[in-house]
Amino acid sequence: MFDAVWGNLSYLMGGLWVTAKLAFFALTGGIFLGILVGLARISKRKWIYYPITIYVNFLRNIPLILVIFWFYFVMPIIIGRSIDPFPSAVVSFIVFEATYFGEIFRAGYQTISTDLVNASYSTGMTYFKTARYITVPIAFRRMLPSLITQSIVTFQDTSLAFVIGLPEFVRRASIVDNLEVASIQLFGFVGIVFFIICFIGSRISRHYEEKGRKANIL
Amino acid sequence: MIEIKNVSKWFDDFRVLTDINETINRGQTVVICGPSGSGKSTLLRCVNGLEPYQQGEIIVDGTSLNAPKVNLYKLREKIGMVFQRFELYPHMTALQNITLAPTKVRKWSQKRAAQKGMELLERVGIPDKADAYPANLSGGQQQRVAIARSLAMEPEYMMFDEPTSALDPEMIKEVLDVMIDLAREGMTMLCVTHEMGFAREVADEIIFMDGGRIVERGTYNEFFTNPKTQRAKEFLSQILA
Repeated sequence: MFDAVWGNLSYLMGGLWVTAKLAFFALTGGIFLGILVGLARISKRKWIYYPITIYVNFLRNIPLILVIFWFYFVMPIIIGRSIDPFPSAVVSFIVFEATYFGEIFRAGYQTISTDLVNASYSTGMTYFKTARYITVPIAFRRMLPSLITQSIVTFQDTSLAFVIGLPEFVRRASIVDNLEVASIQLFGFVGIVFFIICFIGSRISRHYEEKGRKANIL
Repeated sequence: MIEIKNVSKWFDDFRVLTDINETINRGQTVVICGPSGSGKSTLLRCVNGLEPYQQGEIIVDGTSLNAPKVNLYKLREKIGMVFQRFELYPHMTALQNITLAPTKVRKWSQKRAAQKGMELLERVGIPDKADAYPANLSGGQQQRVAIARSLAMEPEYMMFDEPTSALDPEMIKEVLDVMIDLAREGMTMLCVTHEMGFAREVADEIIFMDGGRIVERGTYNEFFTNPKTQRAKEFLSQILA
């Protein structure tokens, strides 16, 4: 059994590599943009807060697959030339995931009370020292489990790039399936690989959650 | 010396402080009391620049808080503050809470700061809790660590914002004893508290606030035995009930 998998292993693993690259760019970009989105969502300046809030609410209420579709099919009309599936998928994921990461950062930041910050200021600590030693470390520890969980979700979501023809892991399994007609073993294999990676991720998340709970900072 | 001159503050359209005037001399202990929402905590936060005010002037040792180019961070180094809910850094031990500002602001060595920290923990009576995290300390212990954290910067003034009102009754005394010692050693203190026993022991002056104004001021005896305003009489009968 699994001969269709073994016979095409390097081709399939090449797909996993594409998936990994997409996930890497989606996460780095999504988290970075997410930090900015999170800051904008706690901003007191209305001209920052409102546009970003509209962006967040809009994207959080439509399916990711539509964002991937729109970007891939509408952008060429706007810019006048076609885009490769990979950069197109990367941009769609960053723009979409940033809204989720942004909400995680916002929530993490809002768990820190004004007076905790005031306590730090009242000992002469500056804004940056307070961020460096107090607010960022505390918020980061509180957010870590959600960040890992959202990263796992993002990793799984990369398979949606299938729809614009990106030859990632699932799409390559489907291409092999068209030749070999071995759906159960091929998609079974893909499922097992996804499961192992994500399961390890969720155990890591649990570990940090427990650690935070023990230190009473969650 | 802290001089508060005609200070008024608004939150949007709502006036929270109205024409506050007060002078706190070196070595004095001033107690501020009054019903909740009367502006006591807001006044303290104005004094060390945690809250802006829109009118009047606050002058600490000759430096006005709203003078151009005034360094509020530098100013706050000499005004310690203790909060109702302790506000210890939850991810640091008691000792780390105390040594953070001396090492990061004053640039003391870790060793020197730890030595100072242990001295202060000794002084507030819990040297054995140096390595405990805030979550594993009782409220009274947390508040004493918070006081030690403020004292580590060797402030010239200390402000207390209802330091005992989040504490169980049996823990109030351990915190008040530390505060009374401080006052007796000559620390200049501005305390928002309803602990009238504390006021009787050490207060040079009691200020009674209501609706964002100072409506009455005097010594403990003047205020207690002979309140001039009806509002103060009502307040006293409530807290003594």
